[in-house]
Amino acid sequence: MGILKEKDREKLINVFKDIEKDVKIVMFTQEMECPRCEMTRLMLEEVSGLSDKLSLEVHDFVAEADLAKKYGVDKIPATVLLGDMDYGIRFYGVPAGYEFNVLIEDIMDVGKRNPGLSKEVMTELAKVDRPVHMQVLISPT
Amino acid sequence: MDFPGFSLDTSLLEKAKEPEPEVTYDLLILGGGPAAMSAAVYAARKMMKLAIITKDFGGQVRETSEIENWLGFQSINAKDLVDSFEEHVKSFDIPVSLGPSITEVKREADAFKVQTDDIRIYSSRTLILATGKRHRPLNVQGEKELVGRGVAYCATCDAPFFKEKKVVVAGGGNSAFTTAVDLLKVGAEVILVNFIKGWQADEALQERVKQTGKASLLDNHQVIRIEGKDSVTTVVVKNRENEEEKKLDTDGVFVEIGLLPNNESVKNLVELNEQGEVIVDCSCRTSVEGLFGAGDVTTVPHKQIVIAAGEGAKAALSAYNYLINKSLI
Repeated sequence: MGILKEKDREKLINVFKDIEKDVKIVMFTQEMECPRCEMTRLMLEEVSGLSDKLSLEVHDFVAEADLAKKYGVDKIPATVLLGDMDYGIRFYGVPAGYEFNVLIEDIMDVGKRNPGLSKEVMTELAKVDRPVHMQVLISPT
Repeated sequence: MDFPGFSLDTSLLEKAKEPEPEVTYDLLILGGGPAAMSAAVYAARKMMKLAIITKDFGGQVRETSEIENWLGFQSINAKDLVDSFEEHVKSFDIPVSLGPSITEVKREADAFKVQTDDIRIYSSRTLILATGKRHRPLNVQGEKELVGRGVAYCATCDAPFFKEKKVVVAGGGNSAFTTAVDLLKVGAEVILVNFIKGWQADEALQERVKQTGKASLLDNHQVIRIEGKDSVTTVVVKNRENEEEKKLDTDGVFVEIGLLPNNESVKNLVELNEQGEVIVDCSCRTSVEGLFGAGDVTTVPHKQIVIAAGEGAKAALSAYNYLINKSLI
């Protein structure tokens, strides 16, 4: 039995039909996998198998430290979403529970090469000319 | 593989399908208030290929509290009523573009083109414009800057924030006096400021406000400026007779000076009346063939939920008949 329930698998196959361009998922774990690293890897293996537009690369955080550094990954499990470029999307920990929605939505945004923001917001964001560090604190309720 | 406590939530993925730019629809409904939602139900029951483009569902009804004139309910909570409308619409699996604003509507040879600010263009053989109305702003210095920090447009939403505070209500019609009633209920001290001499509100409503003894009435005065650094502190008004300026200390300003039709996307396409409302006939037809109008954005008098819902139904049936007569469906 896989991690995804049959109902969710069907839902995802349907949602992924709207992906227009390839999405590469890069995941960092390590040889001696922590339980959450294993959960994340198994979940991503299943998710990436649901569309031919999705691919998954699994890397070893310790053995491939240079690659991890290249992506700015400093902890595991880490999930990186890539399209034509690196948009800076990173998930640390297992994107499970409610965050699973967010992971799928981000995969869709990358797959459509469209973050779903309005033209005005995109115009304003294009004016940002230096690195900005943003932290958003949220409550799930 | 079983991991205790591990679950994957996919609830957000259940949202309605989005309209597809490459499809030419039979009908696109622009708007999400009672007129639009009623049109959607009627069109869906006619099996029309349709989609809805709206910023949100509910329209102006979301800004009110209780509805006492929706047939069958002596009193019903406004949110409950529009939630039930929305649920009804969603039972038909209609694609919805929810959020983006409509920037332009064009008529091309074989279809209407509707552009949204998320850079998408949708096509349809007919359109129902049901975009409703919005609050008219005062257009004075300080208004835009202090929105949400003392400047408000919706008493139902914001009156509780002004409990036992001093509030200016700009306007002299029924909506201004209804706002005053809502504010007086939470113990606010109210100053009504009306641009013209006298008051337009119903006598009964005026009496209800006056008899509380907690409202001051200032007619023939113009709001010329709203002041405040972090929040509203002062409203400057001018006596229109002697030009004298007066500063009113206040914690808030409610702007209730009427409504503007949301006609921007079609104003170069369709005939409007002097108030900017889309001119429709009794079959909801506009000056442009295939473009129908319904609800508060149109010239139909008496802006009421039941009237908007009826007009939406009529517009959908008219669009259906139009397509049948043209053998397009």
